[in-house]
Amino acid sequence: MEFLINFIISWLPIFAIYGILSISLNLEIGYTGMANFGKVAFYAIGAYLSAALTMSVMLSLVGKSVPLYSIEAVQALSTPGTGAIYTHPAAYVGLFVLSLVLAFIVAGVVGYFITYPTLRVGPAFLGITVLAFGEMFRVFMRNYEPLGSTKGLFGLNNPFIWIGNPQLSQGLFALVSLALLLAIYIYAERFVNSPLGRTLRAIKDDEVAALCLGKHVPRVKATVFFIASGMAGVAGVLWTFYQGSVQPDTFVPILTFYVWAMVILGGMGNNLGALLGAAVFTLVDRVLTFAAGMMGPSLIIPPNYLRWMIVGIVIVLVLLFRPEGIRPAKPIKTPAWEAVKEVSEGG
Amino acid sequence: MVGVSEVLNTVQMGLAYMVIALPLTLSYRVTQVINFVHIIFITLGAYTVALLGLIGLTNVWIALGIAFLLGGALAVLDNVAVFEPLWRRGSDVLIIMVASLGLWIFYKYLIYAVLDKLFIILRTNTLSVLVRTEGFPSVTLGAVTIDGYLIDTVVTSVVVTLALYLILMKTRIGKAIRAIADNQTLAEISGIPRGRVLNFMWFLAGGTAAVGGVLWALFQTTVTPEIGDQIILQVFSIAVIGGLYSLTKTALGAFIVSGTENIVIAVLHDTFGLPLSFRPFLVFSVLLIVILVWPPLGAGGGLPYRFRIRPRARR
Repeated sequence: MEFLINFIISWLPIFAIYGILSISLNLEIGYTGMANFGKVAFYAIGAYLSAALTMSVMLSLVGKSVPLYSIEAVQALSTPGTGAIYTHPAAYVGLFVLSLVLAFIVAGVVGYFITYPTLRVGPAFLGITVLAFGEMFRVFMRNYEPLGSTKGLFGLNNPFIWIGNPQLSQGLFALVSLALLLAIYIYAERFVNSPLGRTLRAIKDDEVAALCLGKHVPRVKATVFFIASGMAGVAGVLWTFYQGSVQPDTFVPILTFYVWAMVILGGMGNNLGALLGAAVFTLVDRVLTFAAGMMGPSLIIPPNYLRWMIVGIVIVLVLLFRPEGIRPAKPIKTPAWEAVKEVSEGG
Repeated sequence: MVGVSEVLNTVQMGLAYMVIALPLTLSYRVTQVINFVHIIFITLGAYTVALLGLIGLTNVWIALGIAFLLGGALAVLDNVAVFEPLWRRGSDVLIIMVASLGLWIFYKYLIYAVLDKLFIILRTNTLSVLVRTEGFPSVTLGAVTIDGYLIDTVVTSVVVTLALYLILMKTRIGKAIRAIADNQTLAEISGIPRGRVLNFMWFLAGGTAAVGGVLWALFQTTVTPEIGDQIILQVFSIAVIGGLYSLTKTALGAFIVSGTENIVIAVLHDTFGLPLSFRPFLVFSVLLIVILVWPPLGAGGGLPYRFRIRPRARR
């Protein structure tokens, strides 16, 4: 029982993070037909923004002026009991919330501007430009000294760490991230069933037809990109506070395709499918990590490689044999459709 | 200071980029799919030369030949097992592209897993291998020493580019490839065996990319499983400069990008003190500028997005 609880509270935040990412990717690819191969860029922006903001403000609160990446900063922040994140709980939680808001805005705005040159050149080009952008961001961060270059930033922790009881603080964080996931899920559901959501499907099915009907396709796409990138930024903040640190090499392009695999497995074009895909992959990942711990080096393929090989082969096999995913896309819900259904069923 | 070494690096890097990027553009022209397995071809080629060097076979020409065959075989396998069935079912090009992404991830970690085993068998670090191979000897002209690897690169890339040109322009099968690139349906009506021609094209593209991987390994001199992934940004920028359409502009793009990475950064570093870590920014800005200045399809041109051709006729 104890084990199960620990398992769940360590799994839930990861599930929430990937759930948010896959819902946001699904908005882009499943509903609008924009191939975003650089989701990880916005995730990284959120993560770095929250780490830099929280650490610098917390350090100035305790009156230390040391570089963020230095060992003194880590000590000043997270020495159990005396570190800034234990002595200033209100500021710490406040910064967590502020990071969530700011990450949404900053990642969203960056996403919005990225789309300006690329939306006009077709889906493949959007994909590779954003992929290139993500790689540029990562390589830049690897070399950018003030934010810790390859080592990254350390010294943060769970936003409720000051409570003292690790299970309680982790559980609270799991609940908060689950609540965020739920909010984003509900928002996404309402969004895709709104008139704008119907426009998205029209764009996905036939862009020229949507243009002819007077829809401003690039603007609608940019709006979706803003929202989805903002969501990825929020996921990045959750990751920073879950992990307690950010390293540039977390944000490799493969991470984007991990999320793609979730969306494809769950079924493109429905939010519940995206959540389902995220749940399956994060659970498999957790179980693999657990199994690797038990079996040790006797495993033929090291679990880290096996995990990614599964991701790759799942993408290919699902596309080959069940392209609609676990849960096929359904028509949108509108009052008009429901009325039609009522009439046709009621006869 | 921009010196001789920057210029020589530009040449060697540019030629390697060119051999890597040309087949990407070629396969995109013919199938409308951006093939992400391309990155694996590079890694495969690089590891061919590195591992052959490890077991004592240090002839660069043999390595180039084996890399060509391996890359080509892998490309044909992908086409037969994944791309062709998807195409036959009428999948969107986007879906085929995502399938190639899946293959990329699968192969990449398969390579990792195999290297992990080889690490134990060969008792050397296979995850970071120093390239040891021999082609032409180094030449010293006055104060300038031209590395042997550079001469190998020049010879190989000239031969490969010439061969590609001759195959595409002067042979029957090259004509067939171009016909499929222009209009698939019409080509099939004219009796061109699409499947066989595409397999040949993939063999050519995969093999050439793997040869490019060998050249890239000669430039980097250290090979890791990430060697292909490291140049995603550059290769796609080059392909966009070529508009994924024009082979000559792709070749030009290779030198623009390598010049940016070597000469422009050196000039900016000297005059404005720009840190060398800004290199990826420069490459990315080249990519953005090209897309902004020639909006539809990069410098290679194409139709405005509103009038984009439907990817291809469905069956």
